[in-house]
Amino acid sequence: MRSGRMRLAMALTGVTTLVAALAACGGGDDGGGDGKTLNVLIGANTQYPEEFAAWQKTISDKFKAQTGATVKFEQFASANDELTKIQTSVVSGSGPDVYAVGTTFTPTAYSTGAFVKMGDAEWQKVGGKDKFNPATLGISGPDASNQIGIPWVSRPFVMAYNTELLKAAGIAKPATTWDELTQQAKQLTKGDQYGLAVAYKDNFDPWKFVWGMSVQAGNPLVDGKTARLEDPAVLKAYETYFGWLATDKVVDPAAVGWTNPQAVAAFAKGKTGYFLLTTTTATNSLDQGAVKGKWAFALLPTVPPGATSRPANGVEAASILSGDNLLVADYSKNKDLAFEYVKLVTDSETQLDYYQKFGNLPANAAALQSLASDQKLAPVTEAAQKSVATPFTGAWGDIQLALTNVAVQSLPDLAKGSIPPATISTRLADAQKKAQSALDRAK
Amino acid sequence: MPGRAVRAKAKERPLWLLTPGGLLMVLVILIPLALALWISLIDLDQYTLRRWIEAPFIGLGNYTEAFSSGLLHSIWISVSFAVLSTVATVPIGIAAALVTQNAYRGRGLVRAVFLIPYVLPSFVVATVWRTMLQPDGVVNEWLHRTGTLWLSGPHSYWTLILVEIWAAWPFIYLMALAALQSVDHEVHEASAVDGATWWPKLRSVILPYLRGPVLLACLLATLNHINNFTLPFVLFGSPAPDDVNVLPMIVYVTSFQSLRFGLSAAMAVLSLVLIAIPLFVYLRAVRLDVHEEGGR
Repeated sequence: MRSGRMRLAMALTGVTTLVAALAACGGGDDGGGDGKTLNVLIGANTQYPEEFAAWQKTISDKFKAQTGATVKFEQFASANDELTKIQTSVVSGSGPDVYAVGTTFTPTAYSTGAFVKMGDAEWQKVGGKDKFNPATLGISGPDASNQIGIPWVSRPFVMAYNTELLKAAGIAKPATTWDELTQQAKQLTKGDQYGLAVAYKDNFDPWKFVWGMSVQAGNPLVDGKTARLEDPAVLKAYETYFGWLATDKVVDPAAVGWTNPQAVAAFAKGKTGYFLLTTTTATNSLDQGAVKGKWAFALLPTVPPGATSRPANGVEAASILSGDNLLVADYSKNKDLAFEYVKLVTDSETQLDYYQKFGNLPANAAALQSLASDQKLAPVTEAAQKSVATPFTGAWGDIQLALTNVAVQSLPDLAKGSIPPATISTRLADAQKKAQSALDRAK
Repeated sequence: MPGRAVRAKAKERPLWLLTPGGLLMVLVILIPLALALWISLIDLDQYTLRRWIEAPFIGLGNYTEAFSSGLLHSIWISVSFAVLSTVATVPIGIAAALVTQNAYRGRGLVRAVFLIPYVLPSFVVATVWRTMLQPDGVVNEWLHRTGTLWLSGPHSYWTLILVEIWAAWPFIYLMALAALQSVDHEVHEASAVDGATWWPKLRSVILPYLRGPVLLACLLATLNHINNFTLPFVLFGSPAPDDVNVLPMIVYVTSFQSLRFGLSAAMAVLSLVLIAIPLFVYLRAVRLDVHEEGGR
């Protein structure tokens, strides 16, 4: 009896200690007056880690001078790390005050309902909605009155081309339609030289092509609660995308195993006409290669395959709306400080400084405008203005995955030389099923 | 009399001293397991995560959906991959142990080299192999094959097994070597006195000594193969080709890309059951008695 009670007492002591310890871990956000700390979760910059640390220090110092509070940056290494952090914070109701998330992840974050919806008052606190490039607001929320994402930086997709190779092939201007691009690629392919560099085995690139070509043809893939993947425009997009390697033979056969960085490396060798789907962050890699001084950015084609002009319902989508948004956590006890921070990092001056250091374009309209005079950058700023948001639904993650899966499972056929349209259709039917079921669950 | 002495002893054993350890076990193993079981019965996803306690209870709904979303295929891939990998590594491991059993010049070096695949992080192994197996990589160059795809399509299954064998055989080798070292000196002497040549000696004298430890190694290795996530993830990326969509991959994608926590918990519970069956059968059969005489 006595030993039983003793056991119970011990068990209780143990549990109490543990609970106390856990509670201590969970707290920490509050504090008073000037001594406050704002926690910001931000993606690690593996390309320029030292410069990134220096940037954080500068921001931290400025913020301290302005508000008296300290910014504490916490970095995540991968999207997966970030997701885990969001999950645990959402469940426990404590964690970082401000999150920097990728644009395509914003709908998923929205669906958790854990972030502050921006009303007029909130927008005022960050310096007004007008200060942002209007295109970047396209993926902040499902509609203008339900926005959670505050645009921070843009990384619009463009293509890079080899100026010398194009000149040698007698091509005056980079292509503006997909058919023209294929045609030029054929002209550029000879010997060990290829027309296009495409990353077929990348885990993200394929869906961006397919979405772009489809939306240009008038099919945004999601129509309210209906997925429209089994559609001639989507099939045509896949056929064009696979066709470059399988039938047009304008891509190095090894590209069937390439991820995006491998495609950059291939283009940097100076033996490829175009490198499709890249951003300004690739600039350094290109300038370190044989292609240095011989390349330029161009807008991706905006006329769908098989057409010479865009159909009436087609959208002039030069790129997916790509970059990072800032989200303020609903559970944050420092919301005003969080908005102060957002205001600071979205100010023109800070944004331009960030661009100079890391090559991410400003989401701030004035800062973006000031870059328009840079000839080399003109196509990229244009792409930033002509970026179109992917469908704003919590199901988008699954749809993106289903679209990529079609490409992943088709690679062996692609390597053999041809993919019958019937095969693509079968895979698209499977993707449609998955996409629709994800949309059905969306709330 | 001795029986009573034992009982009295058992009574005096201060079992309550196990309480801290027991509590920790409850906290670290039992509670999460119970939570996983609970999550597998509710419709927990990105939409219900914030108020997860209120997530709708859907009974076995996640389990039935798991079977219709490719789980059986993944189970088949995982089990066949794990068994094939184990079967292939056993002869390699035992042979390597036999080669390094007797002392000779440079044996230390050979032993160290044998351990290299085992000490390399899985991530490094997968990255290096992925580079070598590119369509224009060194493997294709060496085989004089152009454009064979090792990382997509049907070949990817054999690639996974090959790389797993490369990385995992030293485990069998270590266990076999440990067992060889424990063979008494007298046994070697006795078989020498009896005039046994190397093959009968190996077959009838040495290998029976290895049976227990190597079977245990086989069990652990198979479980390791089934649970290996890093290797397929780094080698093939996600979404994975259908041919290598192993259990950990499908659970990962369901959980962290589709954000279907309930569904992925159901898949994880099913794979736990799957692993528990052979484990249970094996533990009953061998009772983990490596030494037949017990604590001799």
